[in-house]
Amino acid sequence: MADFEEIYAQYSPQIYRVCMGYINDKEQAKDLVQETFISVWKNLSTFRNESKISTWIFRIATNNCLRALEKSKRVMTTELPFHLPDQPHEETQEEKLAFLYNCIAELEETDRIIISLVLEDLPQAEIAAIVGLSAVNTRVKIHRVKEKLAIKFKAHGQFE
Amino acid sequence: MDNLNDIKALWLTAKTDSLPSSDEMLRIVKKFRNNRLRKKLTIIFVALFCAALEVATMFVYKSTMITTRLGEVLIIIACGVLVFTNTRSMKRFIDLKDCSNKDFIEFLEQTRRNQVYYYKKTQVLGMGLSSLGLLLYLYETASISTAAFIITYTIAIIWTLVLWLVIRPRSFKKQSRKLDETLRKLKEISKQLD
Repeated sequence: MADFEEIYAQYSPQIYRVCMGYINDKEQAKDLVQETFISVWKNLSTFRNESKISTWIFRIATNNCLRALEKSKRVMTTELPFHLPDQPHEETQEEKLAFLYNCIAELEETDRIIISLVLEDLPQAEIAAIVGLSAVNTRVKIHRVKEKLAIKFKAHGQFE
Repeated sequence: MDNLNDIKALWLTAKTDSLPSSDEMLRIVKKFRNNRLRKKLTIIFVALFCAALEVATMFVYKSTMITTRLGEVLIIIACGVLVFTNTRSMKRFIDLKDCSNKDFIEFLEQTRRNQVYYYKKTQVLGMGLSSLGLLLYLYETASISTAAFIITYTIAIIWTLVLWLVIRPRSFKKQSRKLDETLRKLKEISKQLD
């Protein structure tokens, strides 16, 4: 069994990105990372390897994200304007990333989770196990979410 | 930016260096206390303590009137209801193992439905038993003199009225609005996974 510090070092960046994808707010994402690793710490000794450790951790993280709705946490969707300036303007990496987060924030809750896991390069079978859908449903969902995201990018002139 | 790989590359540029280090996180998790669980444990402990106190009083103070005994029993039952409800609710959280988003949403929906039931039924039952128990319990002491009766029952009735007509409706209204909103949102998410 891997120890907590190793697990934290390995998974915290991924968990942070997934939480950012869901909540689109740096401070809330950090809180969610913290809550996730508190659960990991509390339950690590009872983790029975019934699923992969990564599946277990992503389940905790995404369930925490879903529970955020009970704490009246609102998903930020307007941190940056969608309309880019008329003047030619070289976007910074941060602006591009903020734009991506805004596009994701416009999706439904479970779609936000699915696309975040896709962008983390998780296998479809693992995404299915995290979300709780069948393999076929997951494949269809992933396809649809990618399409939705592409439409949003196109609508804002980000696709050539 | 024209394909998923570009988006993936952009996704990975998110800065994660502001996250706590492993050591810092270890300190944070070790200091963490689960407030929700603590609150439930406190309620259970206080209810058990009150019930024990009530039982001890029954043995120490030999009442002559049936109303006192009946009052004591009703208060003990009300404490029992509180202990039972909170223990069951705590057990559900402790038993919640590794589960998918779909199962978790179902769990949350059930939890919120239980809470609605608690506010609509269990709380009414518990408060009803304890209010009636208190009014009966006080009768023996209050019946010493007319003045004692008037003073004791004026205070007890005012307290009961405030509890039923002010405190409970306010708390119920606030909680029920919050719970309805949460349940609506949970149902929406649940539909996304159908």
